[in-house]
Amino acid sequence: MIQVTGLAKRYGSFTAVHDLSFTVQPGEVLGLVGPNGAGKTSTLRCLAGIIPATAGSVRLAGHDLATAPVAAKRTLAFFPDEPRLFDYLTVRQHLNFVARIYGVADHEALAEPLLAELEIADKADQLPGELSRGMKQKLAIACGLLHRPSVMFFDEPLTGLDPLGIRRMKDSILQRARDGAAIVLSSHLLHLLQEVCSHVLILKKGEKIAHGTLAEVAAQFAHGEPGVSLEEIFLRATGGSEH
Amino acid sequence: MLGALLYLRLTSLKNQIVSRLKRLRQPKYLVGALVGAAYFYFIFFRRIGESSGSRGPQRAAAAHAADALPLPAVFAETLPLVAAVGALLLLGVVLFAWILPSDKPGLRFTEAETAFLFPAPVTRRTLLHFKLLSAQFSILFTSLFFTLISNRWSFLGGNALTHAVGWWVVLSTLNLHFTGAALTISHLVEGGVSPLRRRLYVLGGGALAVAATLAWIGRDLRAPDPADLADFGPFAHYLLGLLDHGVLGALLLPFKFVLGPFLAPDARAFLLSLLPALLVIAAHYLWVLRLESVSFEEASLALAEKRSATVAAVRDGKNPLTLARTKARPAPFYLADTGRPELAFLWKNLLSTASYFNVRVLAVAAAAILVGSQWFLHGPEPDARAARLIVTLGALSAAAYILLLGPHLARQDLRNDLLHADVLKTYPLRGWQLLLGQLLTPVAILTGLVWLCLLAAALALRPTGALAATLTPATRVALALGIAALTPLVCALQLLILNGATILFPAWFQSMRSPGPGSGGGGIELMGQRLIFVFGQFLVVLTALLPAALAAFVLIFATQWLIGAPAAIALATTVVLGVLGAEVGCALWWLGERFEHLDLSAELRP
Repeated sequence: MIQVTGLAKRYGSFTAVHDLSFTVQPGEVLGLVGPNGAGKTSTLRCLAGIIPATAGSVRLAGHDLATAPVAAKRTLAFFPDEPRLFDYLTVRQHLNFVARIYGVADHEALAEPLLAELEIADKADQLPGELSRGMKQKLAIACGLLHRPSVMFFDEPLTGLDPLGIRRMKDSILQRARDGAAIVLSSHLLHLLQEVCSHVLILKKGEKIAHGTLAEVAAQFAHGEPGVSLEEIFLRATGGSEH
Repeated sequence: MLGALLYLRLTSLKNQIVSRLKRLRQPKYLVGALVGAAYFYFIFFRRIGESSGSRGPQRAAAAHAADALPLPAVFAETLPLVAAVGALLLLGVVLFAWILPSDKPGLRFTEAETAFLFPAPVTRRTLLHFKLLSAQFSILFTSLFFTLISNRWSFLGGNALTHAVGWWVVLSTLNLHFTGAALTISHLVEGGVSPLRRRLYVLGGGALAVAATLAWIGRDLRAPDPADLADFGPFAHYLLGLLDHGVLGALLLPFKFVLGPFLAPDARAFLLSLLPALLVIAAHYLWVLRLESVSFEEASLALAEKRSATVAAVRDGKNPLTLARTKARPAPFYLADTGRPELAFLWKNLLSTASYFNVRVLAVAAAAILVGSQWFLHGPEPDARAARLIVTLGALSAAAYILLLGPHLARQDLRNDLLHADVLKTYPLRGWQLLLGQLLTPVAILTGLVWLCLLAAALALRPTGALAATLTPATRVALALGIAALTPLVCALQLLILNGATILFPAWFQSMRSPGPGSGGGGIELMGQRLIFVFGQFLVVLTALLPAALAAFVLIFATQWLIGAPAAIALATTVVLGVLGAEVGCALWWLGERFEHLDLSAELRP
């Protein structure tokens, strides 16, 4: 479970995220949307413990990220939009390394089906430089899933994937949610949110504009009109611009 | 059309200068610029001011009018030899341009230039002119910079103006020659001449020239007799005889023309040397223009992409030299699934470094030193003594070099991994654990190298006379073991400072490694930042080592009379280990805390 209370992130005098509170229960997928510069990436990075929050608290699976960072991070996986891989480690060596960091016993038994599921088992002895963009993304995902995280953060998860990869990524996210993971994903692709997310949180200029299930948010901005698309809801909620 | 290209170059230059000036609003660049400017003033300009002040109005007048300067007598004697040796060096540089390129060498354009100019309605001749004109910007700047340096060479005649023009002539000729060579090689490749055949032609031509020179020496020139080798003067005269006559003399002639303006001792000689130098440049220019029909676009595109990848690699903190030869290899040791997570970083970072940094190679090297040292220990005197001395001094110098400069070169730690910081920070580890893990690889590599040097020095050192009474075998063993024991901590301490700077001043760290002018990097301000950094590091290392050094000194001084030197050294080593260990532990913990609170995105915001 993810519990966020009064989260704020400031860079000098600029406030990127302001007083953000929400909860993601196990099995829920929260879509984080907003125009460019709304504070989505800053929020995700604060939630994953990559950058410190200026104020507020984040609890992951019951552990406070500020006071018990190690225990909290043991439960999470963060998937950046660009896969950040080590140039000199093969696919298999990446998993070996991650297993040691997270203390995953008998990681090979877990890694093999994971690699097979992500269809990179035949690339196990190749370096990132020899992989396509999509393959690198899959490797980053395999590394993130190896320790069976109960909390997951995806930043633009579909970037660089081909249509089949997109389908598999959506299925994978939904499968992890069904298995009980609490998931937050940030994306500009509203159709992805519509297909995958159970909840949505709309940010604008670092502030929460709307939050709830897709139906609740739709009802808030549809003004009684039937069949309003998420794209239309988004445009109405944000005013259609960054400002 | 050339006007438009000139506009592109001048506007880019203007914008680059403006952006450099604008970034001085940030204190990190302003302070760097001030320190860099001070460095330049004290190293180059103050001396110019002093010398013109001390030599009075004659010097100033000479500088303005390119008038004659008094030529040192020794220079007048060696000037022809300097010109001949310089010409030989230039010939070597030029030969490389014909031997080295593997296939079509292409001309150097940036990716943006290839994207905009190659599809544009411009002729190849215009592109060539653009290329040559672009090169002139950097040649002019480089000439001025080289003049600042060569102006300090008191043995040279001439003045700043003749040196600047001289450098311009040399650099422009080389640039034109490289361009011509690249186009000619492309033309040869189009004509079906393979790189191997081309190299054979060039090397064969060089061998013919050498053979002809040797034949000429055998026929017309006597072999050097002892009198030729007795002093520099006769030897220089003999050498000049070799370089100035025959086939080699004819080969070197155009290169001597090119060097003429730079080496001109006075204004008259300068003016006289300008004409042949300019003729060489003009001949090169005509040669390049005659090659305008050669298709260079494809090779230039490939070259631009390669350069772009190299710049990106440097920006990402990677070694561009290793990009092409990255390949998967077996793990350095078996990494169990569970256990100390710090070891995972050692394992990972060892994989990213050269494959010969492993325990097996270390053991083989140690065995080779042990076996090899037997020759020095049991060889005939006094040769063996001289060899032992050389090995001892060489090994100790190498150890000192590794200890002082090694931490700057062995960067398999957080400095290389900072761009992965967002991934590292999601790991369930405390900051100190992460930092310790990152330090293990460079510490292991440097310690291994220092230990090998210590082993060689300890085996070769055989003091004689009074020193033998002080440095008894037992004392030498105690010293070697003591230094060996302290080495990992001294390396760790230095690496902590370098990694600490990365954590405490990430913005400085990022700006200091910005590559090339194209990225907005470089410049006097970055040089100043580096100077501040090196000075700061020196101060911190000194402060950290001082308590340990003092403790060791007091202990050895106070106890060696009671327990003997070896035992005193062992005692002092134990105490120093404790002091350094405490310092490293505290620094690890504190910097680990700082890393946990590091907000990289805030630090690196423009």
